[in-house]
Amino acid sequence: MEISDSGGMEKMKYTDPKTIVPPKNLDELIEELHKVFDSDHVNVEYVTELMASYKSNPKDWKKFAIFDLHRYTRNLVDAGNGKFNLMVLCWNTSQGSAIHDHANAHCFMKVLDGHSQEELFEWPPGSEDDGEMKSKGKKLYERDQVAYISDTIGLHRVENPSHSDTSVTLHLYSPPFSECQSFDERTGNARKVQVTFWSQFGKRTPCAKLPSSCVPENN
Amino acid sequence: MAGYISDASSDSELNGRNTGDASHNSLSTIPDHLISRAKEIRSLILHHNEFLLIPKSISLFGNLLTLDLSNNHLTDLPKELITLKNLRKLVVKSNGLTCSSIPKDFGLLSSLEELNFSGNMFEVFPPQFTELSRLKCLYLGGNCISEMPNSIKNLQRLEVLYLGGNRLTEVPAEIGQLYYLISLVLCDNHIQSIPPTLIHLRNLQSLSLHNNQISTLPPEIVRLNLSELSLRNNPLVNKFVQDMTYEPPTLLELSGRVVKIEKVKYSKEDLPSNLRKYLSSAQRCVNSKCKGVYFTSRVEHVKFVDFCGKYRLPLLQYLCSPQCRTTPAVYHSSSDTETDEDEAMANARLRRVLLG
Repeated sequence: MEISDSGGMEKMKYTDPKTIVPPKNLDELIEELHKVFDSDHVNVEYVTELMASYKSNPKDWKKFAIFDLHRYTRNLVDAGNGKFNLMVLCWNTSQGSAIHDHANAHCFMKVLDGHSQEELFEWPPGSEDDGEMKSKGKKLYERDQVAYISDTIGLHRVENPSHSDTSVTLHLYSPPFSECQSFDERTGNARKVQVTFWSQFGKRTPCAKLPSSCVPENN
Repeated sequence: MAGYISDASSDSELNGRNTGDASHNSLSTIPDHLISRAKEIRSLILHHNEFLLIPKSISLFGNLLTLDLSNNHLTDLPKELITLKNLRKLVVKSNGLTCSSIPKDFGLLSSLEELNFSGNMFEVFPPQFTELSRLKCLYLGGNCISEMPNSIKNLQRLEVLYLGGNRLTEVPAEIGQLYYLISLVLCDNHIQSIPPTLIHLRNLQSLSLHNNQISTLPPEIVRLNLSELSLRNNPLVNKFVQDMTYEPPTLLELSGRVVKIEKVKYSKEDLPSNLRKYLSSAQRCVNSKCKGVYFTSRVEHVKFVDFCGKYRLPLLQYLCSPQCRTTPAVYHSSSDTETDEDEAMANARLRRVLLG
């Protein structure tokens, strides 16, 4: 599936952000995302704007907002007909992720509540140079803002910078992936990690990894 | 911080009838419709309002279990608060409270299990808090606290201690006495070292130390059963430190070493008490293959250990001689079975850690 950065020669649907009608709730956003990702061409700017135009309403995502004392939780919301994964991540105060890549997929991250801080990193150079990873700076995202990253842009660490408030983020990954790499900031060493979920579709799934086939049976 | 595993809705033991939620309004006092239900309300949720002070009418809510006044403009807590004898959870995040805002008899709220004062202006850790013997969760993140009191050890039931985002430079050894602690958050401070007594926290599952001034860690840290450890942004030693200064041992030390290693027998009649005391202060060389001991002359050695599969930790250890870095300085032909078992366990643990 191709993902392009700006509108092509044809005026295709789902490319011009000006045509976006803000979804009234999360279900409408998901419905629209299904349509957008059904086509072979997906426009990064369009998807970013679409996700940003949905005004976060806790009633929509409250059932996915599960916080853990020790680490952030991943809660699968929708499996996008195999074209994308949509999940809600819940960050307790000061919780953060490792530096990670995105397995050649595209990652859109929208803040649903609180604040999210993203620190970008350059890919570590070849295996000989065992040195500290280079930071490309930090960005703070507020409620309803959307961040985008892919492996060509670089790597990142995401964290909740607040010591008082929790944070909830909505992530879309396309194509879906079950494995990526996490990096040691001090050495650049990478290791493979599995994407696991605290819950899927609102149900608790201990140690559950991504289901290999998310396409429903055609009965 | 949200509770253990919690969702955005209120506590499970409470239903709509017992909850008074008037959050996200422009209230500066408790509304009449909640005052009239005061006796039946178990949970009073008033965050995101315009309260400048807590009215005396708070004492009408005699059966209150939970009170949330976060995100208001409070600078003081009234003594009437202490009449709430059943209060279990008090949340007053993001206000303008300081240590002097806390009533001196605050410790009488003995039923308190959860206390959250994150995002205020505390510069001093209020001593009254350490009188709350039933406290399970204490959240003081995002304040300006520069010191943790030794009396922290009085909070014997504490399971969660959150002190991230303050001005701590050290951690008292007494923290090791909080046996039931499962989560300890100390990130975003100016902490330079971690006490070895942390090893006693056998129930600790997560330890947050990122964004501090820590350069080495006590070796005991690898023996904790942690599932989460954050260490980023500390000036951790990156390379092996080859030659640290080594003071040659004194004659006293050398004699002491021989007595201990050769297991020379001595009794009250043989030695004065000050020498017997000296001999009993011998420390084992941390190199498990070395049977050596040291008294005061030791080599600081930084050893790297892979931990949690994510980090290479620099651990500060003491060796009895510079040779111990690679080969043991002292061999023993015979050995205690007890010592061998300890040794085997320590080696097994290290191997597990090194293999990730």
